[in-house]
Amino acid sequence: MSIAPTSPSPHDGDRPDPPDADPLSRRFLARGVVAGLAAAAVSPALIATEAEAVGARHRRRCRHWHRCAKHPKHTCRHQHRCKHLGHRAVPTQPAEPTGPTEPSGPPSDPDFVRSPVPTAASLHLGNRFTYGMTPALHEQMRQAGGPARWFEQQLDPASVADPKADPMHTWWLSIDLDAATIGQRNNDEVEGGWVAMANYARWCLLRRIYSQRQVLEVMTEFWENHLHVPLDDDGVFTYRADYGKLLRSHALGRFDQMLVAAITHPAMGISLDNARSTKRAPNENLGRELLELHTVGRGNHGEDDVKASSRILTGYRVDLWTTWRSYYDPASHWTGPVSVLGFEHPNANADGRAVTEAYLTHLARHPRTAERIARKLAVRFVSDDPPPALVERLARVYLDNETAIKPVLRALVASPEFLASAGQKVRTPTDDVVATHRALRTEIARPTSADSAANSFLWHTSSIGHSPFAWARPDGPPDTGRAWSSASRLLASFDVHLTLSGGWWPTKQITYRAPTSWLPADSVRFDHLVDHLCRQLLGKAAPARLVTACAQAVDVAAGTTITASHPVMRWQFPLLLTTLLDSPDHLHR
Amino acid sequence: MTEQQNDPQPCCDDYVRTSRRSFLRGALVAGGAVTATFGTAFTETSYAAAGQADQVLVVLSMRGACDGLSLVVPHGDPVYYQARPSIAVASERLLAKDAMFGLHPSFAPLVPMWNAGRMAAVHATGLPSPNRSHFSAMEEVEDADPGSDARIGWLNRLVGRDGAGSPIEAIQMGGGVPATAVMGPQPVLVTPSIDRVRLAGGASPAEAAARRRSLSTAWAGSSTQLGVGFRSTLEVIDEFAPVHATSATPSNGAVYPRNDLASALQATARTIRADVGAEIITVDHGSWDHHTWIGNLADGNLVRKANEMAGAIAAFFADLGPLADKVTLVTISEFGRRVKENASQGLDHGHGNVMFLFGAGVRGGRYYGTWPGLTNTVDADLLVTTDYRSVLSEVIVSRFGASPAQVFPGATTARVGAMT
Repeated sequence: MSIAPTSPSPHDGDRPDPPDADPLSRRFLARGVVAGLAAAAVSPALIATEAEAVGARHRRRCRHWHRCAKHPKHTCRHQHRCKHLGHRAVPTQPAEPTGPTEPSGPPSDPDFVRSPVPTAASLHLGNRFTYGMTPALHEQMRQAGGPARWFEQQLDPASVADPKADPMHTWWLSIDLDAATIGQRNNDEVEGGWVAMANYARWCLLRRIYSQRQVLEVMTEFWENHLHVPLDDDGVFTYRADYGKLLRSHALGRFDQMLVAAITHPAMGISLDNARSTKRAPNENLGRELLELHTVGRGNHGEDDVKASSRILTGYRVDLWTTWRSYYDPASHWTGPVSVLGFEHPNANADGRAVTEAYLTHLARHPRTAERIARKLAVRFVSDDPPPALVERLARVYLDNETAIKPVLRALVASPEFLASAGQKVRTPTDDVVATHRALRTEIARPTSADSAANSFLWHTSSIGHSPFAWARPDGPPDTGRAWSSASRLLASFDVHLTLSGGWWPTKQITYRAPTSWLPADSVRFDHLVDHLCRQLLGKAAPARLVTACAQAVDVAAGTTITASHPVMRWQFPLLLTTLLDSPDHLHR
Repeated sequence: MTEQQNDPQPCCDDYVRTSRRSFLRGALVAGGAVTATFGTAFTETSYAAAGQADQVLVVLSMRGACDGLSLVVPHGDPVYYQARPSIAVASERLLAKDAMFGLHPSFAPLVPMWNAGRMAAVHATGLPSPNRSHFSAMEEVEDADPGSDARIGWLNRLVGRDGAGSPIEAIQMGGGVPATAVMGPQPVLVTPSIDRVRLAGGASPAEAAARRRSLSTAWAGSSTQLGVGFRSTLEVIDEFAPVHATSATPSNGAVYPRNDLASALQATARTIRADVGAEIITVDHGSWDHHTWIGNLADGNLVRKANEMAGAIAAFFADLGPLADKVTLVTISEFGRRVKENASQGLDHGHGNVMFLFGAGVRGGRYYGTWPGLTNTVDADLLVTTDYRSVLSEVIVSRFGASPAQVFPGATTARVGAMT
């Protein structure tokens, strides 16, 4: 546990803020990093008091949900004093008629008739390059003329209309405000910087749920995690949304251009101390992480490279905690010959921007960077331990195409390694929450208060272990099964799934589908119902394993006839939904 | 103060302890079908199997690289005061002084433990060679197996030393992602709080049983990390259950300060009280990366953290009461900070650091280590004279009879003498 919320705020007037004299890396841990862990410890700090209040409400509402064994209508959350808790089940009524009760005639739900299951390949593509397969996504793929053409269309996001997600940036004012105004609002206590950052995380999550440009969303997150700027680093709240939008604009472009834009952006400069670095005492924080994290990777550079790297980057300044103006200051730029990993430059000019650009471009095109980016893409989209041959191939495509991202993605998707990897990746906490909303097809509306779903649902991701861009260290959150497979992660996921399946929290400005709307026909066999739900939620026919699991969860036989009035469609329905969402089929992608 | 010795072989028969629970677990696993039958019957069996941990090791990681020279001040070394004109702690304010060292005044709540011989400090410890990257140093310290890319942490090796283990033999109390120290083949419990270790949707025992049956069916055959995690989760729920039944109120009138470390240690004490067989519990304390404004005794980054730490540890041992006789707490930080203060009244990344030992088995009330003497240059470090693994080795030998060769492969350890 860590991340003490000691966030230095502009009110820390008594704290010396020596601008130029930070010779080594600084604050990425400054507020309390939790080194090997971060996640759940971090996020609550981000949304501190609100999260506590919301969390308390959440626990009140959800932890103790129970039903009465005797009175099927009784479902409540007051575990401690509920008289129904003492009741015993009444003897069961005469058994349901047994034997085959096939629904007669075609099912009445048009979905059931018209929506064939995605193919294994399209489901795999959907699960990896979107935040979860849905009937609507399947339809989008069909409209596009198949998964391959859909993917190509997605690589050109401007060609895809996105009427639902487009306006969401207007739901929170701070997403589009300039740094000075965001800083002023923080000073004036109109909106704290941490609130602005929570809003940014919310916007990103909502886009992941609702955007039609799913590949763009997936790639934006990928790059934002790679060129990670933690939301709660001191002062980054002023520039962080702008930074994210900048990466979004490069997410399907070229890495060399994205790298130049990111490293020279004030958010990165604030986060890794370049914003206060000077020629007198170049701060080595960004110069080091640029090599270790963003480009060539650990083991491929020495301390002299770090020093030269930091010298090149001097000059990009921000007036922290005052005007928040960002500018290039030639007087701060270290001049003199530099040499880093094959990059040589006399660096004689006080305006070092051209050198910086050339240096970053050199790093972006370095073979070790190519390998690192290729590997990271393969870890995200193929497997935790991707085959070296694939990484090598992708790295070559990257270098052959001047660091353009689309050709690499095309090669990745076409590779046999990709095709063979279905279902092997563990969904991260944020992936899980987003995929669950997509599966349940919730409708979240413009927020009107802190309780509104669009605001409060952020708590779900942090309760599972991580919320967007909250990872406190500059290396970005891990994307491997071993990081996200702890007992507390699973139990928190199960809790969130059940809570959303029941529609119990959040409840404001969110619409959950009614249980009966999931019923494919007026009367349907239980195993057919499970199969239908599986197609709707998970994009595939129900494996026998899940039919059995569902039958065990609600204690009915596979052949039982289910109608709208059956307990399965009433108080048991959340348990039925959550059984599918708690399955490995949903928690992997 | 230290003497070299060859790779010790302390794991003689006297030390080999097989806890009752390990033994029973072994029998259970040998009996087979553990994961296949999660019914009430298994639950009962596993309760019976869950048992005491004879010894508990609490590892407190001071993340961000704390400044050991402020926490245990070498007042007898004049260079300390020359190098730190604005942030040095005055000699007359130090506690528990000897000729060379004294404790930071924030440690006042811990002085009774020091005086009772239950707290010790080892100075000038760390990695054999400097590593100034937080990530890579933490990884190196916690992996503690140089040259291997197996990615198994030292605590995972420690908890795995006696074969089949329960997933709550080692608990990381905090965070959602396992730290390097606990990563590895042995399942461990990583949880931000005690409250999180519950299965949603199983209010009544019958419902819980149905839910578990259902989940087990759904996860049958899943062989990914998460599949492994799932099976461990069901075990965790059973074995951790007694913790929920234990009062959350601290014992012995202990009053914890309000901070994250205190919450984690309070949860740790509660878990120890429930006696569910947790041998190793790790807790983090962040925010020690003080490049700026170390400050003075009135206020500053350092004094705030030191107050948090001292208050939380003192409350923890008070809460444990007599149980403290089986609990050892050791602190570790990825590296130390420079000798000389920087222009921001802070300290940049250095090398050597201090480690603290508290509780059972500690020969306390004194400072250990070999003082290398300080140098007052811009990038002078406190040199490392005691490999951190020497300290940890003594702890695991003393408390668990574990083999340092197994837990710290390839390490040449030296005797420190801080543990009985």
